[in-house]
Amino acid sequence: MSDRILAVSDLSVAFHGKAVVHGVNLHIDRGETLALVGESGSGKSVTALSIPQLLPYSQAGHPTGSIRLDGIEMIDASKATLLKMRGNRVSMIFQEPMTSLNPLHTIERQVGEVLFVHQRLGRDAVRKRTLELLELVGLQRASERLTAFPHELSGGQRQRVMIAMALANEPDLLIADEPTTALDVTVQAQILTLLKDLQARLNMALLLITHDLGIVRKIADRVCVMHDGLIVEEAPTKTLFTAPAHAYTRTLLTAQPKGNPVPAPPDAAPLLQAEGISVHFPIGQGFLKAGRVLKAVDAVSFTVRKGHTTGVVGESGSGKTTLGMALLRLVRSKGRIVFDGEEVHGLSNKALRPYRRRMQVVFQDPYGSLSPRRSVRQIIEQGLRVHEPQFDEAARTSLVDQALEDVGLDPIDKDRYPHEFSGGQRQRIAIARAVILRPDLIILDEPTSALDMSVQAQVIDLLRDLQARYGLSYLFISHDLRVVRALADELIVMKDGVIVEQGQAALIFEQPEQDYTKALLAAAFDQKVVE
Amino acid sequence: MNLTPLTRRRLASFRANKRGFWSLRIFIVLLVLSLFAELIANDKPLLLGYDDQVFVPILFHYPETAFGGVLHSEAAYRDPEVKALIEAGRGWMLWPPVPYSYNTIDWQINEPVPSPPSARHWLGTDNVARDVVARIIYGFRLSVLFGLVLTLLSSIVGIGVGAVQGFFGGWVDLIGQRLVEIWAGMPVLFLLIILASLVQTSVFMLLCLLLLFSWMQLVAVVRAEFLRTRNFDYVQASRSLGVSNFDIMRQDVLPNAMVAALTFLPFILTGSITTLTSLDFLGFGLPAGSPSLGELLAQGKSNLQAPWLGLSGFFTLLVMLTLLIFIGEAVRDAFDPRRSVVGVDAP
Repeated sequence: MSDRILAVSDLSVAFHGKAVVHGVNLHIDRGETLALVGESGSGKSVTALSIPQLLPYSQAGHPTGSIRLDGIEMIDASKATLLKMRGNRVSMIFQEPMTSLNPLHTIERQVGEVLFVHQRLGRDAVRKRTLELLELVGLQRASERLTAFPHELSGGQRQRVMIAMALANEPDLLIADEPTTALDVTVQAQILTLLKDLQARLNMALLLITHDLGIVRKIADRVCVMHDGLIVEEAPTKTLFTAPAHAYTRTLLTAQPKGNPVPAPPDAAPLLQAEGISVHFPIGQGFLKAGRVLKAVDAVSFTVRKGHTTGVVGESGSGKTTLGMALLRLVRSKGRIVFDGEEVHGLSNKALRPYRRRMQVVFQDPYGSLSPRRSVRQIIEQGLRVHEPQFDEAARTSLVDQALEDVGLDPIDKDRYPHEFSGGQRQRIAIARAVILRPDLIILDEPTSALDMSVQAQVIDLLRDLQARYGLSYLFISHDLRVVRALADELIVMKDGVIVEQGQAALIFEQPEQDYTKALLAAAFDQKVVE
Repeated sequence: MNLTPLTRRRLASFRANKRGFWSLRIFIVLLVLSLFAELIANDKPLLLGYDDQVFVPILFHYPETAFGGVLHSEAAYRDPEVKALIEAGRGWMLWPPVPYSYNTIDWQINEPVPSPPSARHWLGTDNVARDVVARIIYGFRLSVLFGLVLTLLSSIVGIGVGAVQGFFGGWVDLIGQRLVEIWAGMPVLFLLIILASLVQTSVFMLLCLLLLFSWMQLVAVVRAEFLRTRNFDYVQASRSLGVSNFDIMRQDVLPNAMVAALTFLPFILTGSITTLTSLDFLGFGLPAGSPSLGELLAQGKSNLQAPWLGLSGFFTLLVMLTLLIFIGEAVRDAFDPRRSVVGVDAP
């Protein structure tokens, strides 16, 4: 048995005759971790999927290349060979643990199926081995969870189950396609530690596909950087981070969100004051009997000052997005909201309209927040039509043009449709829609989370630029502490619907007081697990 | 016209479905022909020459006296006496291909009615000596137009109700759904029969009666689509811009629901036509004497010795409904995202 577990040479992938990966060479040895790094569209996932031959081959093909897995050629291999290799010698973990698991089957059945298919074990043996695996991946109270369905588990737990399935037959090669992107930072750190630990114990080769260089630095031995379907640089991790050879690698490395918040007078007048905001959702409520209540946001109070940025951080489920929706009066809430000295809580929809204009929102998903059936011009001028009905066509057009220029887009593009733009451009369109009304406050709900690292940095620069130009205040909701550090003057740390810690951002980043904040910071900046 | 690539892809996908596209062409040809039924089957000549003057009886009303007769009522051009009068004045008449209208009774027929197909009546006559071809041409037009109007009206009502339920959700939805369920639980055919026997049936009245029950088919689809879309980020964004609910529904949500609704339309159309035909067949439909396919079928049933009646009605309905179903299938497949994957970006 040789040490070289995977050798890919001169691999090309084409969809409908259009090449998306050109002549890729890479290899992995037993016990080694290779990271494949690149932005979305660079061809890294396509390369990874071609190793177990999982591409949709009615549309895709390999014009050139060979993939040898432990000496066995995978391209054009027989179906029987492929079935023997997949799940047995090579396993995959996917990005989204919710959609990778079958929602209708229990955990036991899904993990057991892999064992049943490849090892032909008896029922008791399968059960015993399933339990072992779930304990191996650190799923707590594994024996109780055997009969659980995927929706009863958290994201991190589901990813652990996925890993257990991937490891069931002790594969030689584990391919992890963005295994932690959909997870919270603290959970991310746990999963990465687990992967590293398991790899050492089982002497597997690990191919890690990611866009997050922080993860790469933490666990990879070697790195391949992909750009436009080519591997532009391959180097040991240490060399890559200290002396990047290729220009694109250097761009990637410097693309981290950086810089400091726009300086704002610390004693600026308060713009938005929230006092005791609570959002409670009834759960398991019957027709007549009162059910239990989920406290999504519970008694949250804070102030956003004029020209300041207040960051709201927390993991998923901490209620930060719900808080934003409550301030926009898009969900029903209790408590007082005072905007620029006037009470807005309890106003009717009509009375609220003047405030709508002064308080705007930018959402996380640039693909979901723009109506796919309206042109960019229609999307951006919608607010003008509501709030400035006296403007004629020409006045609206000139304002739309200016808004597009403000966010760094070409006004010529205004009659195109959102799907013709990239994610970063779409987010700029969403920002243009918000700034065209010259609001005082913009609530930014994870505006950079769905974007590539280098695009993130651009969007943050844009936000900072707009803030300086128009004196905007931001309420910046994010789980990404690196981004928040680049923008926020004040910081609110939320957990389970309540504020854990709040105060000056710089101070909290320097000296966090609460354990939870410390754990968050450690996980975000060092990929470390703090118990 | 500025088409989005998605619309273009759907159109291409529709055209690629040969069966559906040909059905649509044939159906349009048949519909256009039947819209000009008066020029194809009529008991008045298209043009008439009399005394070096040209008359257009199909458009204008000429009394018999204009041709030297004695009656002040409109000339009955099929009457041998009128024909003789016109010939006497060196006149000529240009007849449409089928020289009978749907309600023309052929008094000159010299065999017992219903008479079998012959050169004079291509598909024979019914039990009161009316030409079957003429009745089919007018009957096709009436059925299709009735179906189209009913489909349009029930879509408007159905989409409206579904939109309100789906968009507002909560109690509005809960109560609305229960009402729709109760309303849908009514024995529709019996109610229609009872209502049709209570009121004087006319085309308009029948349209209203059928509309009472046909609007529910779209509610479920549109409601589901609105429920799904109402919390999308772009709807929330419009809300936070202060756009009114009506405008949000119209601009942001409805275009999504239209795809689902459009897919259903051809099938609602066939359903409407079938309902009208069955009511006519039972004798509770259109007023007596109207050109109705259901009535033709009923005559076929009561005159089994004259199979051309039943067969003509059957094949007309067969062709019409088959064409519509094929078109409907092609539309549905064109809108089905799983079938139009060609040209989707690589992962």
